[in-house]
Amino acid sequence: MKYLPLVWSGLWRKPGRTILIFLQVSVAFALFGVLQGLKTGVAHAAAAARADLLIVHSRLSSIAQSLPLGLLGQIRTVPGVKIAIPVELSFGTWQDPSQGTGVVAVTPEDNWQEAFTYTIAPQYLEAFRKSRTAMLVRDLVAQKYGWKIGDRIPLKLIVTQQNGTNDWAFEVVGTFTDSDVGGGRYIVIVSYPYFDEARVLKKGTVNHFNVAISDPKLAAPVCDAIDRRFANSSHETKTESLREMAQANMQAIGDFDFLIRAVVGSVLVALLFATTTMMVQSIHERTPEFAVVKTLGFSDRTVFLLVLAEALLIFVSGAVFGLGLATLALPLAARFVPGLAMPAVVIVAGLLLGMAVALVSATIPAMLAARLRVVTALAGHHAA
Amino acid sequence: MRFLREFGALLRLSLSGARQRPGSVVTIIIGVTCAVGVLVSMLAMGSGARRQVLAGAREDHVVINSHGASGIMSSIPRDEADTVRGLPGIRKGSDGKPLVEFQSVLPIEARRRLTGARIFFPLVGVTGTPTASDPDLHLTEGRVFRPGLHELIASRPCVRQFTGFGIGDTRSIGGVDWTIVGHFEQGDTQQCGVLADAEILMSTINSNTYNQATATLESPAAYAVLRGAIEGAPTLHLEVRHEIEAREEGIKGLNGLLNFAAFFVGSIMAIGAMLGAVNSLYSMVDARRREIATLRAIGFGGAPVGAAVLCESLLLSIPGALLGVILAWVLFHRMSVSPFGFSFLLDVTPRLAVIGVLWALAMGLLGGLLPALRAARVPVTTALRAT
Repeated sequence: MKYLPLVWSGLWRKPGRTILIFLQVSVAFALFGVLQGLKTGVAHAAAAARADLLIVHSRLSSIAQSLPLGLLGQIRTVPGVKIAIPVELSFGTWQDPSQGTGVVAVTPEDNWQEAFTYTIAPQYLEAFRKSRTAMLVRDLVAQKYGWKIGDRIPLKLIVTQQNGTNDWAFEVVGTFTDSDVGGGRYIVIVSYPYFDEARVLKKGTVNHFNVAISDPKLAAPVCDAIDRRFANSSHETKTESLREMAQANMQAIGDFDFLIRAVVGSVLVALLFATTTMMVQSIHERTPEFAVVKTLGFSDRTVFLLVLAEALLIFVSGAVFGLGLATLALPLAARFVPGLAMPAVVIVAGLLLGMAVALVSATIPAMLAARLRVVTALAGHHAA
Repeated sequence: MRFLREFGALLRLSLSGARQRPGSVVTIIIGVTCAVGVLVSMLAMGSGARRQVLAGAREDHVVINSHGASGIMSSIPRDEADTVRGLPGIRKGSDGKPLVEFQSVLPIEARRRLTGARIFFPLVGVTGTPTASDPDLHLTEGRVFRPGLHELIASRPCVRQFTGFGIGDTRSIGGVDWTIVGHFEQGDTQQCGVLADAEILMSTINSNTYNQATATLESPAAYAVLRGAIEGAPTLHLEVRHEIEAREEGIKGLNGLLNFAAFFVGSIMAIGAMLGAVNSLYSMVDARRREIATLRAIGFGGAPVGAAVLCESLLLSIPGALLGVILAWVLFHRMSVSPFGFSFLLDVTPRLAVIGVLWALAMGLLGGLLPALRAARVPVTTALRAT
């Protein structure tokens, strides 16, 4: 501790240089924080996805294949199933083909929202139940297109109506938020009974059923029980919890681990070179000062440690600042996964990494300073 | 003229001095190399994905979908498909039948060989014989599926990446076992694709709608004719687009995301490299203070002194840029990646190399500004007095 003033004055001998190194370290760790934060953040979000919410798809193809609405009755009789809601998916555009939104059609039965990750105010739920052409709008959609409650919104859906057109219209009766990171940013909810009645094709079919179960621990047996019920029928199902799906999707992101490692690796290599040369430079310039310090009785070891301490101070403060920036910037960089927060483990890893790079890059300069020979240094022959 | 002469002399002087400060020079080069290398490699993802998607797209091909939809969201009922077959503007084959093919797409899942991770890929039911309708597609092993049988042919990348695609392997789709009877290659696409007979696929999944159609035009001008006919038919809810346009649109989202990531990461790395360069250049200027002051004293202007430093900074950024581009090319060109389950080869193009060099020059310019200013403003008297 008593050496702190010495370390401090060493750092501020050339303030411009120190600030630049500090900024360089900050930038490197900001990048590390954002990339690693994205990766770990998505993994955490997947692990936190609800296990008590099951999705019943067609076994043929869990993305595209329809199931008949008629399966609903049988799904509801499976022990452990609390709520089962049919869900049809579609897509529409507003005014311009580039202004798209996902359309989720659900049957607004009692407590239907418990089988979803949406948060909807009770008065909006009530209004949605009352009107067949009602539409609930995700907050992000309302912001993007400026829709207000009470607006009647014309949408061009990819589904043809009985009257032969693709022009639909819904009244906005409320807004909602979604806690699921994989649920799509721009979605609206409409009433399935109305939607199904009005369309021409695929009547009486749904994309999947959302099922809420009484106990998350029962997820696996309830999934099996539902799938067994439809085994060897013409509509075999595949039931998974939201958490299982999130984890499978995360694996599908694929080669990003490699990419992140490559980027972080090259950032650190560049940083290592830059700081090492800068510190070597600084030690050369301070040769007379180190000589004086040694003349005063500081051992080689102390001088070595002094230089290491300087590096540690600047790296740790730079890493703290950079990781702080990354924490602020993460939601911005992760605009495709709303609600992502910086995991603490990334901060800790970043700080440890910062210390490691500091020690590695300071070793050569510190050795130079420690090996300095007082006589030659004071005589003005700077070590080459 | 005098400016140029002084500037030239100064630049020669400072470049010859650079040899005495290898540390600073190496710092600048390595910083720029890493920033450019990462930028170019990441941009190579976007260009590789786009290249693969556009490969094989033909000028005289059009894609027909239902209104506003594409891929699995689109649907073309059989009766509308029959109408499409009779539309004007579509070229006729040697057998007199219109060259239009309908596809029924079913995303199904596969497991990665190494990790067991689940990936979705399209099973495409086609109405024609794939080897006849696509000249880029050729069988590498086995034979084509027979119409009316539960048979599949799989692309080579499926076999490489996923389990269960060997010839003779079966997989259950719709409660029926389908047998893999052939492997094919399609240009150098890395995407796993599996083809089957459209009719047998649709009867298995109880579907009466195709997802999309591809037609060959009689001539480029026939596009307007076909488009007019589709828009004019009251029973059709379809829209037609050029194949190239449709594919560009399909890749737009992924491409935008990849390019955003590339420039986001590339910019941050460039800032880091620039800070390193500024530091190195500052110390080079500082080390030459007496030299610069001497030159100023014998009549050199401040402007050429600054310009020489700026130019030195630009010149120092070039080797790093070239090294970065070369490294990106050597390490990553034609490397196979699969983000979001979409596989393609990275493509380091000359255009990306140019972007990389321009990026480095911008870094050199911005990084050299402050040190150049400092050099131009060296106070002659104090600098000469300093030891």
